[in-house]
Amino acid sequence: MYFAGVDIGSTMTKIVLMDTSGKILSTIKGPTGPEHRQLANEVMKMALEQANLELDDISYVIATGYGRLNVPFADRHITELTCHARGVSSLFPNVRTAIDIGGQDAKCMKINSGKMVDFVMNDKCAAGTGRFLEILATTLGIKLEDLGDISLKSTKKVRISNFCTIFAQQEVVSQLSAGEKLEDIIAGLHDALASRVAGLVRRLKIEPDVVLTGGVAKNAGIVKAMKENLGCELLVPEDPLLTGALGAAILAKEHSAKATAKGEPIPTRPRRLEKATFFSKETG
Amino acid sequence: MAWFMGIDIGSVYSKGVIIKDDELSAYYVTLSGANYRAAAETIRQELLTEANLTQDDITDVVATGSGASSVYFASQKASDIVCTARGISSIFPSARTIIDVAGQSTKAMRIDGQGLVANFAVTEKCAAGSGRFIEVIANVLRIDLKDFGPLSLQSKNPITFSTGCAVFGESEAVTRVAEGIPKEDIAAGVNKALADKISSLGRKIVLEEPCALCGGGALNIGLIKSVENTLNIQLLMPPQPQIIAALGAAITASTSSLKR
Repeated sequence: MYFAGVDIGSTMTKIVLMDTSGKILSTIKGPTGPEHRQLANEVMKMALEQANLELDDISYVIATGYGRLNVPFADRHITELTCHARGVSSLFPNVRTAIDIGGQDAKCMKINSGKMVDFVMNDKCAAGTGRFLEILATTLGIKLEDLGDISLKSTKKVRISNFCTIFAQQEVVSQLSAGEKLEDIIAGLHDALASRVAGLVRRLKIEPDVVLTGGVAKNAGIVKAMKENLGCELLVPEDPLLTGALGAAILAKEHSAKATAKGEPIPTRPRRLEKATFFSKETG
Repeated sequence: MAWFMGIDIGSVYSKGVIIKDDELSAYYVTLSGANYRAAAETIRQELLTEANLTQDDITDVVATGSGASSVYFASQKASDIVCTARGISSIFPSARTIIDVAGQSTKAMRIDGQGLVANFAVTEKCAAGSGRFIEVIANVLRIDLKDFGPLSLQSKNPITFSTGCAVFGESEAVTRVAEGIPKEDIAAGVNKALADKISSLGRKIVLEEPCALCGGGALNIGLIKSVENTLNIQLLMPPQPQIIAALGAAITASTSSLKR
């Protein structure tokens, strides 16, 4: 039997396909794109192709993330908080605090024995999310994936006084023209983001092990700045983007096993491997 | 004859006035740009030319705003809150509340009959709580800032922004444009969002009427109407809402020279 976890984030769509033993058969990450609600089918096709499977081979599909309701081939939708908590605990059984910095939000979950017991999140303000870095990378003319390495060269980070993304844009331009080094400015931006997220996280009691996930965790400069701002060690999974989809796939496997154990059929729904339309508006 | 100059170097615009016996002799508004010192110098020259005066005719100069220290020819600096309060009271002695919508923040203040500030509240330095939000969305809609207010008044169905962030609001506006939502409905939605932020600021200081609106945001007729509807009040509108703090700075210059 095969299981799928589909995580539709604001920026990236992630899919994990898994078999009954928990072995991962394929993982796919694709940009969600401006039509984020409609492209999950394309990413799913890629994942199935990689695992050499058909959609009908998959026993249970769980969709999660910001765009989870727009997956017309999902059997069930589960919030990203639950899926992240499950995915992170499968990789780090001793996790108590899981921080996820996504493309458009940041959240922190308290986890006890693999279950989420409390959480805080920010999806109201671009500061403290991946969007902050995306916009400032563009302002500086640097590729997003290069920010981390450049910032690690910094010896004296520039203090960024504006937390607001839009005002920080103005500030970095004037810092550049004032002759500050690029690496020092980027290190300052990482510190600004980290301090904003740390402020959110501190609303919950931070207990080890602390795990950092989400696309922003791929940036080594952010990991360093988060450690400094939280004053503790951080564990980062090999692929920090995938924890939500991984958790969804594991939950799919567990839900199916539960149904089978009770002698019930797996509660699948009619699936359509096509563009989602139900949330897109009719335009004249 | 005694003339006084007030200069307000803001984050986006710089303004200056010359007054004589509490009457406005000249005023000038320009973009602050990257060099505040140069902006201050431009304003001084333009004001003197317009009033047909020389620097020697000016008894005293007071500077205010976030770039006040760049006004090297000022004898003293004054807080922009104090100056705004003085400026409004000189025009509307009855005003008890002032809302100042500026380029980087919005302020609400309570004042007494003498133009003294009793208490005030300021939005965080957040683009969505300032005139900057209007600039960002005007850019998405590709309309001139001066057309933003009149356009928004044509709306019958303002959109509601789902977040209080200008960055996310910008993406939302792009999506709405793509969906074919009329520009006026998006513009009216921005004014409404800002009016809601102003309204919660007003609650913090316990808004009392009469209430005056000033700052660059007060040039937006749509925002004025939206604030009036949201707060259910009639606003006092100064004829030149952008120069209020500069006017207050000039008044500060004249009163402190009287004391001397």
